[in-house]
Amino acid sequence: MIRKSALWLAALGALAFLAFPIVAIFARLSFHNLSAGVVGDALVVSLKTTFAAQALVLAFGTPTAYLLATHRFRGRSLVVTLVELPIVLPPAVAGIGLLAAFGRTGLLQTGLPFTQAAVVVAVAFVSGPLYVRQAIAAFEAVDETLVAASRTLGAGPVKTFFRVVLPLARGGLGAGEALAFARGLGEFGATIMFAGSLRGVTQTLPLAVYQEFDVNFNEALALGGLLVLISAALLVTLKWLTSSSTSVFRFAPSTSS
Amino acid sequence: MTILTIFAAASLTTVFPQIAPHNQYSFSSSNMLAAQIQQGAPADVFASANTKLPEQLYEQGLVEKPVVFTRNELILIVPKSNPAKIHSVFDLRRPGVKLDIGAVGVPVGDYTRVVLHNLGLDDALSNVVSQETDVREVLAKVALGEADAGFVYLTDAKTVRGKVATVGIRWSAQPIVQYAVAVVKRSRHLAAARQFVRMLLGPVAQSKLRAAGFLAPR
Repeated sequence: MIRKSALWLAALGALAFLAFPIVAIFARLSFHNLSAGVVGDALVVSLKTTFAAQALVLAFGTPTAYLLATHRFRGRSLVVTLVELPIVLPPAVAGIGLLAAFGRTGLLQTGLPFTQAAVVVAVAFVSGPLYVRQAIAAFEAVDETLVAASRTLGAGPVKTFFRVVLPLARGGLGAGEALAFARGLGEFGATIMFAGSLRGVTQTLPLAVYQEFDVNFNEALALGGLLVLISAALLVTLKWLTSSSTSVFRFAPSTSS
Repeated sequence: MTILTIFAAASLTTVFPQIAPHNQYSFSSSNMLAAQIQQGAPADVFASANTKLPEQLYEQGLVEKPVVFTRNELILIVPKSNPAKIHSVFDLRRPGVKLDIGAVGVPVGDYTRVVLHNLGLDDALSNVVSQETDVREVLAKVALGEADAGFVYLTDAKTVRGKVATVGIRWSAQPIVQYAVAVVKRSRHLAAARQFVRMLLGPVAQSKLRAAGFLAPR
C-alpha cells in the first residue's frame, strides 16, 4: 500500500511539474496584449518558412529514406548516423555549421544569410532528419511480400511505390512529418545565428518571443500561448496519425520475423 | 573574498573580467538583464549600457540609486575586406547594403537609431538585414563578413582589431552613451556589491576602462 501511494505521489509530482509552466503561461496572459503587428508578421514568416522547409523535407527526404530502407550497402550505417546527427546536434552548432558552409565567407560563399531562404534552410536542416529517420522505419516495416506480389501482378516499381509502398507507410511517414513540422516551427538557435532576426522577413514566432521577452513580457507571454496552441494541435494530429498507422499495419499480413 | 554575481551589458564583456576577475558575470543586452532582474534573477550588481534601464529598476524599488561610471561612443564597422565599399556613413543609403544593427529596446539599437536620425539617414533603416539582441551579435556578424556594416560601440571595435575596419561618426551626431551601475536590493552581499560600485569609480578601474577605450564619466 505504501509503495503504491509513493508511486502516485511521484507521478502527481511529475505531472504537476510538466503542466505547471504551460498553465502559468495561460494564467498570466491575455490575448489582447498581442499587438497585431509583431505577432502577425512573425506568424506569417513562421508559416511560410515552415511549409517551404517541410515541402523540401518531403521531396528530398522520402526518396532518401526509401533508398536507405530498401538497400544494404557498405557504409550504410555510417550514412544513417550522418543523417541522424542534426537531431542530437545543439542548434547553435547547427547555426555555426550553416554559416561555415553557406555564409558569405563560408565554403560555398552564398548570399543566403539574412534572407527568408536562410530560415528555410535552417529549419530543413534541423527538422529534416526527424522525418527521414521515421520514414526509414516506416518503409522498413512495409511487408516485402506485398511489394513482391504487386510486382508479380505486373505493376512496375514506380506504380508499386505509389500504390502499395506509400499507402502502407503512410501512417509512419505522417507521424515523422508531424514531428519534423513541430521541431521546425520551434526552431530558434540555428535560425537566429544563420538567418538573423528581422521583423517580417526572418523573425519567426520563437524569435519574436525572445525579442519581446526583454521589451514587453506580456506580449512574449501571449506569443508563447499562441505557440503552445499550435504545438498542441500538431501533437493531436501526430497522435491521430500514429493510431491510424497501427490500424494500417494490422491488416498487413507479416511473414517476416 | 565574496564572489559577486554581476549582470553587465554585453559591451563590458572584455573589460569587466580584467577589472575584477574573481566575480561571476552574466553578459547580455542590458534590457534582457533588466527583464531578468524584474523576474527575480539573483544578481548583486547591474551594469547597464544606458541610464534609462537602471533608473526604471530604481523607480520600481529593485535596485539602489544608479551611478554613471563610464561613457562610450558609437562607431560604424565594416569587414576588413569591405565588400560593400563603405567609406562614409552616407554610403549606408546605397541600395543593397547589408546593415546589421541592434533591435529596438536594446541600448545599442536605440543609440543607432539616434545616430542615423542625427545624420539624416533614417532611410538607411530600409537596408537593415537583421536586428540583433545585443551589440556583440552585431560585432560577430560584421567580423565574420556576413553583414556589410554595423553600428557598435568604439570599445567593441577594439576587441576585434584586424577583422574589421571602422568608419567614424561625426561628434555632433553622437548620442549620449552613459553606463550606469546599481546595487540590486535583493542581493545577499549588499556590502560587497556597494564596494564593487565604489571600486568601479576608483582610479584603478577607471584607468582599465580608459585603456579599453571607454571615456571618463561626466
